[in-house]
Parts: sequence; C-alpha cells; structure tokens
Amino acid sequence: MSTRRAQGTTLFTALLALIGIGVVVQLWLLSATVDALLRHENSTPIHAAIASGVLFAINGLLVLYVINFDRKMKRSRS
Amino acid sequence: MPEVDQKTERCQECKNKSQWREDFPVGWENDNYITRREMVKFLALGSLTIAGANFVLAGIPHLVKAAQMPRTKIASGSSIPAGSSALFSYPTEHDPCILVRKQNRDLVAYSQVCTHLSCAVIHREQENALFCPCHQGFFTVAEGRPYAGPPTRPLPRIKLEVHEDEIFATGVEVS
Repeated sequence: MSTRRAQGTTLFTALLALIGIGVVVQLWLLSATVDALLRHENSTPIHAAIASGVLFAINGLLVLYVINFDRKMKRSRS
Repeated sequence: MPEVDQKTERCQECKNKSQWREDFPVGWENDNYITRREMVKFLALGSLTIAGANFVLAGIPHLVKAAQMPRTKIASGSSIPAGSSALFSYPTEHDPCILVRKQNRDLVAYSQVCTHLSCAVIHREQENALFCPCHQGFFTVAEGRPYAGPPTRPLPRIKLEVHEDEIFATGVEVS
C-alpha cells in the first residue's frame, strides 16, 4: 500500500469515526427531545432540533469531503 | 488426458460466464461485507433521518392546539371537610383525579396517576402528602411536586372553579 493510499485510509477511518460520534450525539438529542415532550416542555425540543440540524450539516460536509477525497484518490490511481 | 483437461477448462469457463453469475455478482462470503464508503453513506442518511425526526418532534406542540377542556361538576363543597379528599374523573371517565381540601380550607385537585409508573396516588392526611403505594413516592399537597421516592415529575394539576357550593373542574395544567 502506498503512503498516499495509507494516509487516505486513515483519514477515511477518522472521518467515519467523527460522523459516527455526530450521529450518536444526534440520537442523544432525539431522546432528550422525546423526554422534554413527555414533560410538556416546549423550549428544549426546539434547541435540540437546531443542534441536531447543525450536527447534520457538519456530518454532510464531512461526507462530501470524504466523497471528493475518494474521487481524487481513484483518479490519481487510474 | 489433454481432452479431459480441455473439457474441465471449458466447464470452468462456463461456470464463470454463466447467466446467474452476471445476475448475482456478489459471492456468498462477501454478502455481509460493508465497505467504509457504504458505512459513511449509511451514517449520513441516518443523520438526516434523526435531524428530520427531531424537527418534526419539535414542531408537534406548535401544530397541535390544546383541546378545549369541558367544565364538569365534580363535588359539592360541603361534602369535603378540611384535611379530607375525594376522588373523581376528569376530563374523561378514564382519567382518575383526586380532590383535596387543605387544612386552610383551600381546594386543590391533581391527576391521580403517579408520574412514575402510573399507579394511583392516595391522600395521606398525617403527612400532608399524596402518596403512591407502589414505589413509596410522595408528592406535596400544595403543588403536587414530588419530594420523596422515584417520581421526578409533578402531578398534573386540575383547574378548579367554585360556584356557590359546587366545585367544577375546568382544565388540566401540566407543568
């Protein structure tokens, strides 16, 4: 495995872990939202939804970066 | 011998080029293999789904308007002496509630359903508390706030109106 490819694999794995952490935090926010709704509390779900949206945006940007990076790697190999 | 070899070779070729191999190109051993790329796409889709669910849940309280509560007569004032309690149902017959007249003759009413695991709470005059016998939960009579045991949320309060000697329930207040 070439150095560039090895670096790419490490980067890919690290980003995968980051996105995974983001999704876990989103799941926690979702459970907090449900809990707040059952307590008839209206402000917490809005803040949780905004935070979840921000996390999705970050995850989406990371995924786009990963896909672009992957494409570049493939192009440089061929 | 060369003939047999030729046949075997041809047969192997047949297997590799058979129609079903084109239709099912993934081998049995690779069936459950997920690549990092697929995992990233799956996580991104999951992230979108969770964010969407969160927004939908946040919008529910703003979309669903509070239902109009009926005004129901629940007891007559003279039938409940100070420090005692009475049971009634509000807003439907499936929603048990408890009405308590405090020592200072003020009236308070709460849902009888414990906010821990839905057992029925009872009034304990000696402790001036609403008590859940299932898991030893205690709520204050003044506010319905939990102060001992496993419950963490207060009891929903029933809004009351007193007209002459009659007591009416007019709504439910969840804090």
